Parts: sequence; structure tokens; C-alpha cells
Amino acid sequence: MAEAVLSFQDVQHRHKIPAPRWSKPWAQRLGPGIVDLNLKLYRGSILGLVGPNGAGKTTLLRMMAGILPLQTGSVMERIDSEEWTHVDDLRTLVGHKPEQVRWQGKTTVRNILLELGEMRGTEGHRIDALLNLVGLHHRRDEQLDNLSQGMRQRLSIAAALLGSPKVLLLDEPFNGLDPVAAQAFTELIQRLANKGVSIVISSHMVAQLGGVIDRIGLLHRGQLLDEGPLGDVETRLALNGRYTVAGTGEVDLEELLKGIEVDQIEHESDEDGWSLTFRGEAQEVLQALLSNGVALSSWAPVAPNLVEWLCAATGMDVQDISLEVASSAMLPMRTVEVGEDE
Amino acid sequence: MSDFGRIRSIAARIRRERLFGIRMNIMLPILLLFLPGMAWGFSDPNIILPGGHQPSTAMEVLFYASLGVVFGATMCAVLLSFDGVSRDRASGMLEVRLAQPMPRRHQATALVLGYLQSILIPVYGLMVLCLVIVRIRMGEWTNLEETLVYFVSTGLILLWYTLFALLASTTAKEQGTAVAFGVGVWFFFTFLWALVTTMVAYASGVAVGEANDPAWVALEGALDLLSPNGVYHHLLETQLPTVDRGVPMWQTWAAAIAWTVLPWWALQRRMEALVP
Repeated sequence: MAEAVLSFQDVQHRHKIPAPRWSKPWAQRLGPGIVDLNLKLYRGSILGLVGPNGAGKTTLLRMMAGILPLQTGSVMERIDSEEWTHVDDLRTLVGHKPEQVRWQGKTTVRNILLELGEMRGTEGHRIDALLNLVGLHHRRDEQLDNLSQGMRQRLSIAAALLGSPKVLLLDEPFNGLDPVAAQAFTELIQRLANKGVSIVISSHMVAQLGGVIDRIGLLHRGQLLDEGPLGDVETRLALNGRYTVAGTGEVDLEELLKGIEVDQIEHESDEDGWSLTFRGEAQEVLQALLSNGVALSSWAPVAPNLVEWLCAATGMDVQDISLEVASSAMLPMRTVEVGEDE
Repeated sequence: MSDFGRIRSIAARIRRERLFGIRMNIMLPILLLFLPGMAWGFSDPNIILPGGHQPSTAMEVLFYASLGVVFGATMCAVLLSFDGVSRDRASGMLEVRLAQPMPRRHQATALVLGYLQSILIPVYGLMVLCLVIVRIRMGEWTNLEETLVYFVSTGLILLWYTLFALLASTTAKEQGTAVAFGVGVWFFFTFLWALVTTMVAYASGVAVGEANDPAWVALEGALDLLSPNGVYHHLLETQLPTVDRGVPMWQTWAAAIAWTVLPWWALQRRMEALVP
């Protein structure tokens, strides 16, 4: 198991929102944000931070990037196998790619990185290496106005990697990318993780994170409901072991699967064929179907979607969750114990 | 790279970008018209100003020509820097910049210096041209002290308006508000301040606009300390022995320091609390 490099302990940042009164028109009150969050980031791991719109993903990333101050809590950095030290300025450790940066102007790709590099103390030759890494080397003298969306995303990654950060934060990195660019982007992220960079990706599109992340954090109403290795969280929330099988012809599934422990989730059938989504012993089901000569057209494990993750983590149904997204209330939620060193 | 070197380098990038931008191409004719144009006009040997006054020294001509700075250069300073922060906020660049480990106070200083330099360089160039024009038309140079005060006070008024515009830019969530705030402040001090002075005079029982009434002159002089344009003129008046509006030189310089320090401090604080 990779070692934790950064630990956020009871951190909080709630946005101040205007609450004017007759006697105090400039008054503000604490609104939504991140509440008492504990999270550890691991070397070389890719954490997918998922949650619906308004869950606090961007706020959390901005806190982790040192852009928003911590109102409470602390951040610790591992300095060796046993010792941890307080982090005063997260910005020296963390590279941050915001959700959307409209790189624009007559400045060239290399010059904008040089400018940002000066703010970080990064040298010129390192910038050339970064442009190579993100595949923008041949566009180094291109004006920002002439870049495509995919190139802008790559430039954002290069900007986030200035200063060789230990942690890389990517806010909705797949937005606006075509499938080819998304694939290239995924490979780049995996290369960085292999080099030991801890990566956090926020997204409300869980499907896009499939095959990319190895850990998942479920964020809702500013609270981290659960976090850990993907398989562990799936098991904890009983979202593991789900499969869908489809075939042709008429079959009596109840009869065929008699005696096998199967929890049917969905069963559809029409004149073209049938499909069954279930939780249970996949191997036994498959064996039973094949041994009875059933013609199968597909067989696949079912990955949970965002709604299923959130419903399982909060114990709420989908209607309640969507209503809660619209609300700015910061009521405590059911959360699973997280943050223990694995 | 040292902190100062970093600030200087960022400021130089802003300066280069703004100095050779389209906006500067639009502003240059305005500056040409307002600065050398006014110096040319006021140095005409046959000019008679309202009230029958005729400028007799080079400094007096520059004092009158400083209207070009108040009306033209300050507006250009506002129009150059009104989107210094709001443009980056709108494009997402602000978040990238704030994520860099350069202290926000240093980033604010680099912004101020960058935008100030972009307006100071053309204005100072044209002011040198003004000195030459006055020399050619009147046969007289300003002395060293007068020249120094002329340049320093012009630098200060441009700094103040740059600071106001940047402050507006940090507060505004979008460009329209930023330009409205920046131009609004410029409009208030340039055009509406006379109205404020008149209202205060009326409320104080002072005859309005009586140039020979010592009470009016004193009130106007005191109120001018509360306006950047007024302080600018007070600074220039320190080099005009014939003008005395009852404001001691130390008060003028104290006001100049206050107009410099307070908005700069406010900008630093805004930058510290800035949320993308």
C-alpha cells in the first residue's frame, strides 16, 4: 500500500454569503462549503472525488490548493516514514488545474508558462520538459488564442505541474474533451501517478473516472461521506458484485437459477431477448446458464453510477438527494468512518 | 529569484502586454491631444485666459496644461487597468495565479507596478515633449525642482487612479461593474467634485465661486485635499509662488501620502481575501 503524503484533519471552509439586515446591511453569514473533513492523499494514487453539483468539490480542491484558507483544522505532510510536519503553505506542494481556464491573448504557450514559472521559481528548461510531457512541445510558440480546447486542458495540466508538485488537483478535467483527447489525457494522468504524484480528480461523471481512479471519495453537502480504495467502498456500500447478463430466446430464469443465491435487481424480457441485472455468485449463475444451453449475448459487471453511490452512502433516495443539492443547508449527514491509514 | 526580482519580472510582463496592446493604440491620440496639445495651447504668447490672466512662466503653463493629465491621462490609467483582476477572474486565470506560491501581497504589488508603468511610460514621454514645446514657445525651461514636482505629482495621480481601478477590479465579479466603478470614481473626482465643493460651501454659508473671497478660496483649498485631483493641483501649486490657498505644504504632502498608502493598503487586503 502506498504511503500517505498529505493529511487534511478536520478542515473546514464555509463560504460567506450576504445576509443584510436593516441595522447591518453589510452583514454576512456562513453558507455552504466544506465541513470537518478528514482526508489522506497517497503517493501515486488517483483519487476520484465525486458528488453532485454543489457538493463542494471545487471548494475542497481550492482549499487543498491553498487558494481558500482553512477556517479550522490543519494539514500535515509526511516527511519520513514516521514523522509528519505542519504545512504552512499548501501552494508549494500542490499543483492545481481549475475546472475551466480560458487561456487567451497574444502571449505564447511557453511565455505564459514562463510567467507562471517565475511566480513559482521554476526554471526555463523545466518548462520545456513539461511541454514535452503534456505533448505541447510543437505548440510552444503558438498564441493562446489559437489553442483548441484539448490543448488548453493540456496547458492547464502543464501549469499545474510547474514546480514538481507532490499532489496534483484536477477539477473536472474531462469537460470539453473529445474521446481521443480524453484517452490521451487519461494516459497522461496515469503516467504522472506512476511517477509518484498523488492525483485528485473531481467529477460528477463517475463513468469517465472508470479505469482511471484507484480510490474514491463521495462528497455531498460539503461532507465526505466515504473514502477509500474503490473496491472497499463498493463493498462497504453494498455496490459490489453486480452483473448484468443478456441472452436470446425464451428462458425461465427463476427455474434455472433455483438454488443459487441471487439478488435480482432488474429483469427485462421481450421478443428480441432478455436481460438480468443481479447481485450474487456470478460464476454459479454463469455456469447454470451455460450448462442449460442458454444462448448468451453479453455478460458484464455493473459499475455503480453517481446516483447509486450517493443513495447508498447517504441512505436517501434519488429525489431527496436532488432536492438536497438545491438546498444550501449544512445539516450533518450519515458518514462512514474515513481517514484511517491503510 | 528574489522576491523583488519576481515582482519586477511580473510587472514587466504586464507592462509589455499593455504597452503594445490595442488599447494603448487607441489612447495614444487622446494623450497626444491632451498633453502636448494643451502645452502648445497654453504656451501661446497671445493667450488670454478667462479672468484676463496670462501665464507668464514655464511652470505656470505646465500647471494649466496639467488639465490634460487630469482629464486625459487619469482616464487612460483607469481604462488600462480596470480589468487588471476581473479579466483574469472571468477567464479562470486568476485561480491559476492565486494557486502559485507567490505571496498575494507581492502579486498585488506586481499588478500595481505593471499597470502604473504602462501608463507612466507614454505620459512621461509626452511630458518631456511638453517641456520642449514650452521651451520652444516661451524660450524658458522649468527649473529642476519644478520639473521634479511636475513629474512626481503626475506619477502620483496616475498611481492613485491605477489603484482605484485595480481595487474596483478586485471587487467586481464581471468586467462591466469593474469599468463602471473605475470610470465612476474618475468621473466623480474629475467632474462632480466641483458640485461637492459647491454644496459644502453653500451649507457653510460661503459665497460660491467668488475667486476673491478668502473664505471660498480656503474652503476650496481644504476640500481639494479630499480629492486626488485637488491634491495633484496642490502639489503643482507648491511651485507657483503667486498662488496661496491657505494649505501648508506639509498638509499637501500628507494628503498625497494618505492617497497613496490607503488605497494601496486596501488593495493588498482585497488581494489577501480574494476568492476566484
